[in-house]
Amino acid sequence: MNATRTIPGPVTWCGIIVTTCLLLLLFQKILWLVVPFLLALILYYLLAPLAKWLIMAGFSNDFAAVSLSGAFLLLMTGCLLLLYPWTMTNADDWQEILQHYLASGSSVLENMLVGLQQKFTFLEKAHMADEMHWRMQDFSSHFTDKYLGAFLLWLAAWLPSLLLTPVITFFMLKDGVRLRKFVGSVVPNAYFEKTLYLMHAVNRTARTYFVGLMKLTLIDALTLALGLWALGISSPLLLGAITAVLSWIPYLGPLLGCAMVVMVTATDFPGNSTLIYGAIGLFLLVRALDDFVFMPYIVGRSLHLHPLLTVLMFFVGEAIAGIAGLMLVIPILGVVAVLGETLELILTDTRLGARHAHALKLRMLAANSDL
Amino acid sequence: MIFNFLRDNFEPPHLALLREITLFSELTNGELRTLDSLLHQRNYVKDEIVFDEGEEGQAIYFILKGKVLICRQGRPVEGAIAELDEGQFFGELALLDDAPRMAQVRAADDCLLAVLFREDFLGLLQTHTLIASKISLQLARYIGQRLRRAVIKYVI
Repeated sequence: MNATRTIPGPVTWCGIIVTTCLLLLLFQKILWLVVPFLLALILYYLLAPLAKWLIMAGFSNDFAAVSLSGAFLLLMTGCLLLLYPWTMTNADDWQEILQHYLASGSSVLENMLVGLQQKFTFLEKAHMADEMHWRMQDFSSHFTDKYLGAFLLWLAAWLPSLLLTPVITFFMLKDGVRLRKFVGSVVPNAYFEKTLYLMHAVNRTARTYFVGLMKLTLIDALTLALGLWALGISSPLLLGAITAVLSWIPYLGPLLGCAMVVMVTATDFPGNSTLIYGAIGLFLLVRALDDFVFMPYIVGRSLHLHPLLTVLMFFVGEAIAGIAGLMLVIPILGVVAVLGETLELILTDTRLGARHAHALKLRMLAANSDL
Repeated sequence: MIFNFLRDNFEPPHLALLREITLFSELTNGELRTLDSLLHQRNYVKDEIVFDEGEEGQAIYFILKGKVLICRQGRPVEGAIAELDEGQFFGELALLDDAPRMAQVRAADDCLLAVLFREDFLGLLQTHTLIASKISLQLARYIGQRLRRAVIKYVI
């Protein structure tokens, strides 16, 4: 409860890690609910300042919740309605562009592998370049029948649960305070102040993390876009935005983003290896800035996690729940760590325990007084 | 929502109790309702400890029913400082900072307390400036009175 946070003991840390793993295991089973809930949480933290602004302007909390969630729902519906005809009109062009970019990307990769094979004979024996060539050809020729259909089906299956997002956000905005009061009401008097403090701390941690993540995405997108624009690569803003969003998936996301940037560069400037290396250099620079400057300042400070633990937990998260685990493990660990720390403080406080026991005894005596 | 205008005429019983508290004396019905949405109500039995001396304060307590005793830690008889009644409040310094509690508080009778957390009060300062200003002004007056009394007692 002190302003300076105490470091949890080894037993608490074991409990925190085990709880995080169990939650990941559970969340993997109910991903259809966890993802919209998580998106709703992000949306809630983004809309909360606007709600506060509306309340400051004299509107009620209910009005702020209804108007903001309604506006978001309308915006989403409008975007989907506009996106559909636009997608239908441009689908053919996009397919061509995609195949064009894929072909350029694969040719860059093949050239690189052929170069390596000429230098190292063991790679030539493994026929890596041929293997890569066949795989890329298989992917581009069977993209529509093999992958696109499956992707669209997956998207259609996820759409209903994603529509839950604005609904959950609405209730978070409307009944957040009521929920806190409800949870507070079931806590015994002795633990009441500390529990409420815990709830505020968890809320603060989650808000700092998610809002920080959004800020980080925006900074990443703008930095990358600026660099790509300076290199003269086409659609820098779109590329920057997609790459920044992909970075939400630790390790795998940045790799995908880098591959995409290389593919676009190779297509826009065929044979210009300097520019390709320039794009890779830019990407590495942004990643370094992200990991060592922006991340510790914006997100890292909110969670107070040791970097080694963070890296290990990424591997654990991936092993338990795949890509979803990679994305969820750090926010879950952060929140569980705050809960664990404060629970340790509460449960090891013998004075609070004694006060609770004393209160129970007094209540029992009061109930028995006329028996 | 259509019948909201009727609600102003109907006041839940605990709002009448809240109105008795000095800090809320200048709040209108609507403002009191807004504040009420942030208050936690807690029941304490006679002799139950509300908080200990030296504990970090996070909230201010308002007495809606019953009495509380403010005393030195663990000395309710010889260390008694004051007994507070309905309509009074204690732990007000917790609204200003997280300094340790200066005394122990025990329920002198079965009592009903309303609790306002510092975080909620800080939120109120941002969203409902008028309500927070009215409470802050009353709190400043109260602390000023206590200071004046202390000056008269110990300095003059």
